[in-house]
Amino acid sequence: MRPVIDVQHLTKTYRTYKRGAGMGQTIRSFFRREEVIVHAVKDISFAIGQGEICGVLGPNGAGKSTTIKMLCGALYPTSGDIQVLGFSPSRDRKRYVSRIGAVFGQKSQLIWDIPPIDSFHMNKAIYGISDADFKSRLEELAELLDIAHVMEKPTRVLSLGERMKCEFVMAMLHRPDVLFLDEPTIGLDVVAKVKIREFVREMNRKQRMTCILTTHDLEDVEELAQRVIVINHGEKVFDDSLQRLQLFLGDKKLVRFTFTDSTRGAHFENAYTRVIERPSDLQITLEVDTSLISISEFIESIARKHHFSDIAVKELPIQQVVMKLYEGEQSPPDMQSTPEVSLSR
Amino acid sequence: MSGFKHQWRVFKTVADVTYKEWGAYRTHSMVSIIVGPVYFVVQYFIWTAVYGDQSSLQGIELSQMIRYFGATALIGYLIMDFADWNLSMLVRTGKFLTFHLRPIHHRSFALFQKVGHRLLGFLFEFLPCLLIFIFIFGVDMRPASYLWSFLSVALAFLMNFYVNYTIGLTSFWLVQSSGIRSAFILVAGIFSGALIPLDFFPQWLQILQFFLPFQYIVYMPAMVFTGQYSLGGIQLAMEQVVGLQAVAVLITFGMNELVRRRAMKQFTAVGA
Amino acid sequence: MKRYFKIYWTCMRSAFLAAIAYRMDFIVSSIITLVGNVLFPLVTLLIYRSGASFPGWTLYEVLLIQSVFTMSGGLANLIFGGVLWTTMSHIREGSFEVILLKPLNPLFFIVATTFSPDSIGVLVGGIALFLFSVAHVDAIPLLSWLPFAALFAAGTAVMAGITLMMAAMSFKWVGNSRISELADSVLHFGKYPLPIFPKSIQAVMTLVIPVGMVGFLPASALLGRVEATDFAAVLPCFLFMAAGAWIYRHMIRLYEGVGG
Repeated sequence: MRPVIDVQHLTKTYRTYKRGAGMGQTIRSFFRREEVIVHAVKDISFAIGQGEICGVLGPNGAGKSTTIKMLCGALYPTSGDIQVLGFSPSRDRKRYVSRIGAVFGQKSQLIWDIPPIDSFHMNKAIYGISDADFKSRLEELAELLDIAHVMEKPTRVLSLGERMKCEFVMAMLHRPDVLFLDEPTIGLDVVAKVKIREFVREMNRKQRMTCILTTHDLEDVEELAQRVIVINHGEKVFDDSLQRLQLFLGDKKLVRFTFTDSTRGAHFENAYTRVIERPSDLQITLEVDTSLISISEFIESIARKHHFSDIAVKELPIQQVVMKLYEGEQSPPDMQSTPEVSLSR
Repeated sequence: MSGFKHQWRVFKTVADVTYKEWGAYRTHSMVSIIVGPVYFVVQYFIWTAVYGDQSSLQGIELSQMIRYFGATALIGYLIMDFADWNLSMLVRTGKFLTFHLRPIHHRSFALFQKVGHRLLGFLFEFLPCLLIFIFIFGVDMRPASYLWSFLSVALAFLMNFYVNYTIGLTSFWLVQSSGIRSAFILVAGIFSGALIPLDFFPQWLQILQFFLPFQYIVYMPAMVFTGQYSLGGIQLAMEQVVGLQAVAVLITFGMNELVRRRAMKQFTAVGA
Repeated sequence: MKRYFKIYWTCMRSAFLAAIAYRMDFIVSSIITLVGNVLFPLVTLLIYRSGASFPGWTLYEVLLIQSVFTMSGGLANLIFGGVLWTTMSHIREGSFEVILLKPLNPLFFIVATTFSPDSIGVLVGGIALFLFSVAHVDAIPLLSWLPFAALFAAGTAVMAGITLMMAAMSFKWVGNSRISELADSVLHFGKYPLPIFPKSIQAVMTLVIPVGMVGFLPASALLGRVEATDFAAVLPCFLFMAAGAWIYRHMIRLYEGVGG
């Protein structure tokens, strides 16, 4: 079977110009600009079959968004070849984009001041969806995402989660064969995230919809994808099944403690624990291998020796995943990019 | 669905949705109901004083001058445009991408949007001000020819749109396009004729106006409304004025298309 | 008092520093506001060029009125210009509390933190036009400068009052970015010799919304055309500014009542 998405030696290089800071530099750069060449994507190849959900992971600025934009046809490759659904995305734009859907976490399609239902009607017209199709489709999507009660309210009064669900409706009304998701759960609360993941799974199961998902959130990938591609510095550094990634990473979690008494002199390193950060005697972040010890046992073991006032359990941040893939490379863990469950004592 | 029928549906929906969108702010547009008449009153007394006992200035009679200013105010409400602001906002926030990923041209979308927006302007700005001008100020607001005035305003509507959209396209290259925009608005404000009829400008500036977009936006439709057009010593009949406007719209559209293609190249090359 | 003066000085200094940090933007926007504000005398120029005139006024006398108006507007904008936009955006975002949290008079705080160096362009343009006009009208007796200064201050007070009233209006008319157009349109009455308007409009523009005073009266003082009774017009000007401040503070109190 031919893959739905086939990418061969994709490369994107662009040229920008250094912009001066002061006025002198601005004027000077007006006459002679200093070129800066950015290698955003370097020779990436992969193929995705119908009905697959593929997660694309990578830290900020790794080239994920550039890749997705090229797959959508919004950015033209410098070299290499892309085939999606038999189209070359940079050609025949109108026909190609009628077959795909896209949700960008930070770029809304909804119109701010009026209810989502009016925006839905607009996409109905733009995609030329028939009345009957629109009605049944909207009912189905509204039911799945549980948004029937918010569709008639002005978008500006909706919560971020409700708005995101409506963004999904906008992207799904015309029954796309391929769905592109760029950071779809960014900033959402846990409940909304779960609902949206459920929805994507359901669409994928029912319609064999192919889906490409870029994210910062390892959990998104674990919940949805069968296949993972990791990109760093514009290069593909991992491309295999989710199981293989998990095997590679092991079951590791980050646990951060805030102690009430100084832990000066105490040792935390052992077979299943590694110190990630220890900014003071009262704070520590540990990496725990949960295949060797359960989280509850681990916490108990710490509690026996030390008093702590706060504890946070987090997934491994993506930065660290990439770091592991690139052994030896050192960079601080990115604390903001992971969900956390915080318990206070 | 046939191409035309599809376009018509998109047109209706986008115009309708835009009408609703801005309808939330219709009390805002009612600022015009005060601003328009106040400007008109000031103009009225300025020109009444200036005419004194002269019967005509630059070949324009006082009553025609008053009608001219009434017309510029009202035509402004019919053709007002924010395509430049809107497009630069979409580029700045990256939302332009969401249009590129839908099977529609953003320019058509923006034009349909303008129709919906101006429909609102027609109801909440144009009509109230027209009634105030006629019944309170007692100005004769009947155009010399309904047909030519309508055509002229329609062409001005398009002209203003394509010019502004072209300005908006510059934001694909410039990070800060607001400077260009305010400079353009300033120049357009002077040369549109809304402050003073263009006949008062020096001869060379009057001739220059034929090669600049400004007079096609307000001055021409306002003069067609009064039924008399002359600029730079050139007298034109109404059908000639409208014909000239049509040519100007075609040229502007052509230039817009050129700039748009280059802008799309820029967009798909660096993803501005 | 000394504390307030010190705060104002600090705010003014940082406003200038911020403006200098964005030199290019600052210069471009100054030039555009300058050109925009200095352009309206163009209409007057074109009228006189065509051989017509405002009866009883020479070109330079009218330009004198308009230059005084521009200076007044520039000065008021420098000090009060940012109040409207800041208030409007705080109300729209629901963040006006930020201002109420400061241990200062809220009106003072807003005025101090919104010092707008951009308006210097307008002030300078107005001064240039003013000097040009002064050089072309009949010699101005030294003694006329005193009433001019007093009337100029009164005119600037009117400008400030208008800004405050518009800002107060934005408490009620949330998110309406067109409020300033209202002020701009009414201010038009102040840009021309007042006697060209009918008596009823003159009365409104002198007593109720005294914008007629901004350019016309100070310029008349320089031209030796004021009588002792004209100085009575100073009173409504300052009353108008006081009314602006009062309405604005009243709106703050209402806001505290609802928002708090």
